[in-house]
Amino acid sequence: MEKFHNELKSLKRDILEMGDFALGMLIESMDAFKNLDMQFAEEVHSKKDKIMELETILEQRTLELMLKYQPMAKDLRTLACIFTALVHITRIGRYSKDIANILLKELKDKQQHMKKLITLSSMIENVESMIRDVLTAFDTKDLRILEGFSERDDIVDEQRMEIFRECLTYMMEDSKNIPFCIAYIMVARYLERCGDHACRIAEKIHYMVEGRIIEVR
Amino acid sequence: MKSNNNIIESDKFSFWYGNIRALKEIDIQIEKNKITAIIGPSGCGKSTLIRSFNRMNDVYENAIYGGRITFKGINIFDKKTEITDLRKCVGMIFQKPNPFPMSLWENIAYGPKTHGIHEKSHLDEIVERSIKLAALWDEVENRLGESALGLSGGQQQRLCIARALSIEPEVLLLDEPTSALDPIATGKIENLIIELKNKYTIAIVTHNMQQAARISDYTAFLYLGELVEFGPTRDIFERPKEKLTERYITGRFG
Ligand SMILES: Nc1ncnc2c1ncn2[C@@H]1O[C@H](COP(=O)(O)OP(=O)(O)OP(=O)(O)O)[C@@H](O)[C@H]1O
Ligand SMILES: [Mg+2]
Repeated sequence: MEKFHNELKSLKRDILEMGDFALGMLIESMDAFKNLDMQFAEEVHSKKDKIMELETILEQRTLELMLKYQPMAKDLRTLACIFTALVHITRIGRYSKDIANILLKELKDKQQHMKKLITLSSMIENVESMIRDVLTAFDTKDLRILEGFSERDDIVDEQRMEIFRECLTYMMEDSKNIPFCIAYIMVARYLERCGDHACRIAEKIHYMVEGRIIEVR
Repeated sequence: MKSNNNIIESDKFSFWYGNIRALKEIDIQIEKNKITAIIGPSGCGKSTLIRSFNRMNDVYENAIYGGRITFKGINIFDKKTEITDLRKCVGMIFQKPNPFPMSLWENIAYGPKTHGIHEKSHLDEIVERSIKLAALWDEVENRLGESALGLSGGQQQRLCIARALSIEPEVLLLDEPTSALDPIATGKIENLIIELKNKYTIAIVTHNMQQAARISDYTAFLYLGELVEFGPTRDIFERPKEKLTERYITGRFG
């Protein structure tokens, strides 16, 4: 079983690396968006293949470990957590690509934003810290990091609604604002979804550590 | 588990082979119509425990025990308890199939005969019913007169189960019944055990944790003669409470 535990350790390390990679994509896509930096957006966009590839490879490795060792107890729960986390991490990577895409498709000839992106900036900070904490909790099995996660997700949901309401007003004011506002609404929606994915991973980390099934938000 | 449905219960049961203590104050309950699996590393006392349930350890001259085991509320070590009556109620299957070197028919009829049944048609009936219960009938119905030693290992094991069932026990004790069998024969025995739990109460020792997880309702983990953890099988394998259990079933031992 020592071989199994070594393989499991290396799989966990690679999952964490993939998580960092997806989180990096999200941060970069938002930096590109805030700065209307098309070249940077292209770069983020091109990373989506890497995420898909990682998902396939790591999923195979998870299945292989289950098949070869039929693990029990916390090992079983860890693999169950990895299996779910993989899906959600991949989604975060895909939303990052989608954010880059909005920039490249909808705002490609824009020189500057129509307004200061205050709520959106705070939103990406919140989502980033949620994802970072989930990865740290996965690594350290320290559930205290995940305390108050539901409330943090509520804030992100609220921020999304705030952006929606604000943009609605701008669009009614002047139809020239519409392309920008649609982009803001969509980005806010993707960020909110990324927060949800972090919650789903947090649930599975609880299961991994304690064997209990709980609902985060 | 604490329940009114327990058929066997032990109360601080200890066992010594001379001065070797094999079991330490075991409190375990075997629930009626359930499958209870006993797991643990080699030498932890699984066989000793399961053999105690029908006093098979009495054969050792230096056997000493403490505490009690009750079968349907009656202390099995009580002077008044007849061993043959107990054995009739509690059948046992061993790791290596051990059919008698006689015909299939004779193998099954042997037990009922020793219990006073001699009428051929009655014995025929018992032979057919027992072999059917053991899910072996279709494979051997035309060879009842042949030697049991000509059967495959898996068939022999099912014949031994049929033989145990022929005297209509209430409890079946199985000590690693599939460890000498291939996966197909093992699968058949496992299905049979699950089938049988409707009519019988089953305790099984196994080294195969996946097997315990597949077939049992409760699992007991023994270590160095002590009952470390006992609970619903799903809990034991998914979220054991004791660190020791966790370490054993995840292979972090030694
Ligand atoms: N006849 C005997 N005389 C002396 N000691 C014995 C005897 N049978 C078993 N023991 C000892 O009692 C302890 C428990 O043995 P037991 O056979 O019950 O273990 P087990 O859990 O069934 O092991 P395994 O998985 O190898 O079958 C061991 O230390 C063993 O050496
Ligand atoms: Mg044994």
